Amino acid sequence: MDQFLVSLMNGLVYGLLLFMVSAGLTLIFGMMGVLNFAHASFYMLGAYFAYMLQDAIGFWGALVVSPLLVALVGVVVERFFLRRVHRYGHAHELLVTFGLSFIIAESVKLFFGNYPVDYRIPAALDIPAFSVGGAQYPAYRLLMGGIAVAMFVLIYLLLTRTRVGIVVRSAIYKPRMAEALGHNVPLVFMGVFGVGAALAGLAGAVAGAFYTTNPNMALELGVMVFVVVVVGGLGSLEGAMLASLLIGVITSLAVSVDRSLADLFALAGAGDWARSVGGLMTLKISSLSATIPFALMLLILLVRPGGLMGEKD
Amino acid sequence: MKTAFLCVAAGVAALLALPFLLSQGLLNAAVQMLIAALFATAYNLLCGQGGMLSFGHAAYFGVGAFATVHAMNAVGGAGLLPTPLLPVVGAVFGLLLGSIAGWFATQRTGTYFAMITLAIAELVHSLAPHLKGLFGGEAGVSSMRMPAWGFDFGSTTQVYYLTLGWALLCVALLYLYTRTPMGRLTFGLRENSHRLRFLGYDVHGLGTAVFAISAMFSGVAGGLQVMSNESANYVVFDPSLSAAVILNSYIGGVKMFLGPAFGAAIMTFFGYAVSDLTQSWLLYQGILFVLVMMFMPTGLAGLPGMVRRLVQRFGFAQVMPLVALSCGAALSLGAGGVFLVELLRRVFSQDYRAAIVAGNDWPAVTLLSRDWLPGSPITWLVPVALLAVGAALAWLARRRRAALEAAEAVDAAAPTALEADAIVKEGLA
Repeated sequence: MDQFLVSLMNGLVYGLLLFMVSAGLTLIFGMMGVLNFAHASFYMLGAYFAYMLQDAIGFWGALVVSPLLVALVGVVVERFFLRRVHRYGHAHELLVTFGLSFIIAESVKLFFGNYPVDYRIPAALDIPAFSVGGAQYPAYRLLMGGIAVAMFVLIYLLLTRTRVGIVVRSAIYKPRMAEALGHNVPLVFMGVFGVGAALAGLAGAVAGAFYTTNPNMALELGVMVFVVVVVGGLGSLEGAMLASLLIGVITSLAVSVDRSLADLFALAGAGDWARSVGGLMTLKISSLSATIPFALMLLILLVRPGGLMGEKD
Repeated sequence: MKTAFLCVAAGVAALLALPFLLSQGLLNAAVQMLIAALFATAYNLLCGQGGMLSFGHAAYFGVGAFATVHAMNAVGGAGLLPTPLLPVVGAVFGLLLGSIAGWFATQRTGTYFAMITLAIAELVHSLAPHLKGLFGGEAGVSSMRMPAWGFDFGSTTQVYYLTLGWALLCVALLYLYTRTPMGRLTFGLRENSHRLRFLGYDVHGLGTAVFAISAMFSGVAGGLQVMSNESANYVVFDPSLSAAVILNSYIGGVKMFLGPAFGAAIMTFFGYAVSDLTQSWLLYQGILFVLVMMFMPTGLAGLPGMVRRLVQRFGFAQVMPLVALSCGAALSLGAGGVFLVELLRRVFSQDYRAAIVAGNDWPAVTLLSRDWLPGSPITWLVPVALLAVGAALAWLARRRRAALEAAEAVDAAAPTALEADAIVKEGLA
């Protein structure tokens, strides 16, 4: 039971982390129709910038400055890369961001080497928050979750309660109409792209210290973030939240399930047959934890193509 | 048409003559180039001709590879088929997985299609290490090429001819496919699938078929890879392989039939040639890809056509300075960029960092068999100057092109209807 509780909490925190990255991605997609392949690279850049700045301005300072730097990178990407190829269509934009993600990953390898760097949480934060069944639960995980929740509330309020939010939402919904009414839509696009990048950067700066900071972190998280965004519904913030938590919890819980499909067949009396088939049948659920999200994504795309909360097609 | 045929014939003759000209190591690289070229051509059927951007083609390549390796080991190691026919097994399994995956993926279009292909590939990729019986786990599955038809397939030359035969056959089949009614419908799928549907065609079935055919030829490429390596490992499902085929195809140019093959061949060749010299090859590949996407949507293979059109439009004498300027700019920018990257790579490497003694000047780094001091301005001035010269040349080239177009606009101030039509067509081309 305690084990289950810890897994559940780990899953929730991982889900919240996924949400921090996917929030920006889903907003950018909803607005510009571009699925930004380089988004997870922003997450990685956030971690590396924070690692670089940590010695100079301290952990908390790095946590503030690093997302700003990432936002700057995001703005440059939007202004000087995406806007130039906009006229060739969305596939072309997708490919350009794909190429950029490549360049960013390789540049990181160039400057920091192809191995994890020593980016750690400060000793003051490396404390247990409480203990569950004898095991200590790290306070830093709670901090990560707290930052993500605070961010969700902040963005949600910003989008639904303020004037800026109205303009942004109208630019997402009907960009031409918003432009005709005198709003600077390209500027809004650039702003949202920057903010989305900053959120990913913040996630990287926070999570890089806890997990590892290495040149493959973008690829590892990136695919999962795509899954989240598609499952939640492209363009939907609430959907991204729901899907992040769902996937975080499922992957975390699956690790501790020591059962296989054969056990399911055994209930119907065909257990021996299933075991003799081998392969997928005898594979433990725990070793499938990395596979389940993709299966879930395929399922969602077939059953509910718009995603859990998606409206736009 | 006749010149194109002659070019292809000359190319095939050159490929046939290669084993007499190259060393064994280079011939091995040539085998890899052929496989990459076939894979890219198969990919382009889906991506360039069908307009469906797949991010997970490694799955079909990998399935072809593993099907072939198991076929080689079947019947107590004697092989299911005579060795030269083994890639057929890869084709069959590529077709099977391609039909299933294609049926799922082509339910949707655009970004969703790309995401589904990515998900399917990741599904296979994350599953493969756990299915040890099928994919051999960390060690992979190894095999032996059995003698058949009087050949022992022991030498690289024989493997080369086997690969060449299959690659030429498959590329020819893929080309002939584009001439069939279904091949023309594939183009229709890219251009306007709605209209195709209104005309009464089964768009989903067509998309699935195109996907499956593309996967089938990818499976052949995978099979050839296995036959050349005599082993297969689940690493073939890695996303980097899917990424490589996308980069290669677009760098070559997806709008032309042989563009992706060309791109894949030269990228593989450079990857092989510079792998000893630099660790930054992927970085250069990425930068080249982004540059091509931003400034040359037709890809490298489209460049000769672009120059030809310019010559037709402005005359040879006018265009040559423009071409010279552009080449100069490209060379200069390339040299500057490479110099800078290699310099940074060395200065930021772990060995170099460890060699720095606090308080002393930073030691020199070796590049182009010369020593460069990171502390001296000259070291940094060289790449910056190269980049600046390149940028200036590029700017001049742009201006020259603009001037040519302005002059033409004056000449064509009062064109006849026929001329105006021609100008519009040129502009569109």
